[in-house]
Amino acid sequence: MEKKSNTMNNKKRNIILICTAAAVVLILPWILTTDYQIMVMNKVLIYTVVVLGLNFITGLTGQMNLGTAGMFALGAYATAVAATSYGISPWIGLVLAIVMGLLVGRGLGYPSLRLKGVYLALTTIGFSEVVRLVAANWVSVTGGTTGIRNIPYYSLAGYVFDTQTKMYYLFAVFVAFGIFCAYRLADSKWGRIFKSLRDNADAVEMSGVNIASCKILAFTVCAIYGCIAGALYAHFMGYINPSSFTIDLSTNFVIMLMVGGLGSVVGNIFGAAVVTILPEILRVFENYYQLIFCTIVLVGAIFFPEGWMFAGIKVIRKMVKKLRKREHITGEMGGGE
Amino acid sequence: MGSLLKLTDTTKQFQGLRAVDAINLDMKENTIHALIGPNGAGKTTTVNMITGVHSVTSGTIEFDGHDITGMPTYKIARLGIGRTFQNIKVFPTMTLLENVMVGGHQCTKLGALRTIFDIRGAKREEEMLKEKAENILKKLGLYELRNELMQNLPYGRQKISEIGRAMMTDPKLILLDEPAAGLNPSERGELIKVIKAAYGEGLSFFLIEHNMDVIMSISDYITVLSFGKLIAEGTPQEIQNNPEVIASYLGEKYKQKMAEE
Ligand SMILES: Nc1ncnc2c1ncn2[C@@H]1O[C@H](COP(=O)(O)OP(=O)(O)OP(=O)(O)O)[C@@H](O)[C@H]1O
Ligand SMILES: [Mg+2]
Repeated sequence: MEKKSNTMNNKKRNIILICTAAAVVLILPWILTTDYQIMVMNKVLIYTVVVLGLNFITGLTGQMNLGTAGMFALGAYATAVAATSYGISPWIGLVLAIVMGLLVGRGLGYPSLRLKGVYLALTTIGFSEVVRLVAANWVSVTGGTTGIRNIPYYSLAGYVFDTQTKMYYLFAVFVAFGIFCAYRLADSKWGRIFKSLRDNADAVEMSGVNIASCKILAFTVCAIYGCIAGALYAHFMGYINPSSFTIDLSTNFVIMLMVGGLGSVVGNIFGAAVVTILPEILRVFENYYQLIFCTIVLVGAIFFPEGWMFAGIKVIRKMVKKLRKREHITGEMGGGE
Repeated sequence: MGSLLKLTDTTKQFQGLRAVDAINLDMKENTIHALIGPNGAGKTTTVNMITGVHSVTSGTIEFDGHDITGMPTYKIARLGIGRTFQNIKVFPTMTLLENVMVGGHQCTKLGALRTIFDIRGAKREEEMLKEKAENILKKLGLYELRNELMQNLPYGRQKISEIGRAMMTDPKLILLDEPAAGLNPSERGELIKVIKAAYGEGLSFFLIEHNMDVIMSISDYITVLSFGKLIAEGTPQEIQNNPEVIASYLGEKYKQKMAEE
């Protein structure tokens, strides 16, 4: 009985949390005063999609992936080239991005079966650099270092998502769907298998699981998310060039994942938001803002390895417990009188 | 009685070392078959060959009528072989229940996409897995600990949980590599009970063990390895009195102790 009411309570709590989050997301554009701020929010949304995917590889399966910039770039170029050179609708570009993701997931998944740790990380960096170099040198298709300009906005039945606010709502829908899928998968038997692969792959294989296909699945999910985010980015920015897709971007995604805490979907959103917004806030320090930001991240990594959010939640829980205890004690004393 | 596991001239060569040297072994259905021998005799190597972890240098391995020589591990597992490891292999950051549930992943059907969108189906599958895992944990006497993180459990419990994970695939045969090592006497007693109960339900065990109390109390048949060679096989009674086994493994002290009892 007690268990049942507990799960009921949890359900209620979750519904309340989701509604609050939705309300905040809906009214945010009214709170933010400038277009620039909404643009930063749009970046948060797009990066969230990447981190949701990266979580499956680096968070759950525990394999370092420093190639997300490459996935992001492939998605962006696929839809940008299709839209500008062939006049293909961005919606079909999205499908192209997904196909790209499927291919890349397999392409990177196979080496991951043989390579571990640093070697895999280097391979993913290599992949990302290859993508960037091809984009920079295959001038006839990608426009070389000047990149691709005039990428059209998304539009739906004549309605064009041409302002930051309009795009914000569109991307929010994408992110909501991305969170739904990521949560369903991470919270399922698949998420469990990914985590167990991180802990001990031999034991998983002895349970009759084809671990090769599971690792490829994790990479594929990551790549699809990365490519979709790239496609959104292309139509959001309106122009892309190879210099946006460097290893810095990949590292940033890993930092977002770390800040949010490995393995948690809610943490992913938190991490993407903090790592995108914090530098903007720190801009008041002018020349030093990068330095300060990096110091904060470094200190965070040392003291809160499980992610800032969880460290915060832990502290709050402890305080609540202490308060409750105090109440309890004073209550008992009152009863004794 | 048919044969369940059959090794024919099975050999493993590690560079200069012949760790397992052309052994022939025939394990019958519905038995607890023990493999004993001094350290470095090649017992774990034998199990690693059976489970496809090591390739077989020469010879064949048959299980339940299938030739499993050279098959990948997961396929061998799907044919009905489960296993525990000499150096435990568990998932320390996951709960005991989750650890056991991983063992049942293979018996589920939904792919990744259907898991996402078929909310009811996924829930049903998850509940099925959970119920099965909980039943197994009850049998192992670990049910109360199901929500503890594996890394917080004592070594002995972690070890017994490996058997539970192996049972999740509904195997015909479980290979136990030194399950009693590191267990205290009361845990050892529980282990024997668990093995006997599972045996009673139709599971067969292939058991590597140094603890002779455990071996003598539960095994039907014993094979003895020494330096990669099969030096004796027979019932526990026969093995206890085999001069060669006493000389190379059990030792004179064991004989005296037996005589005293
Ligand atoms: N991967 C390997 N590469 C090279 N040699 C190995 C390998 N694995 C085992 N050996 C060697 O093979 C021999 C048999 O080892 P094995 O682990 O099978 O012994 P064991 O009978 O299980 O011993 P123990 O009772 O100590 O567990 C040992 O000499 C060991 O050093
Ligand atoms: Mg061994």
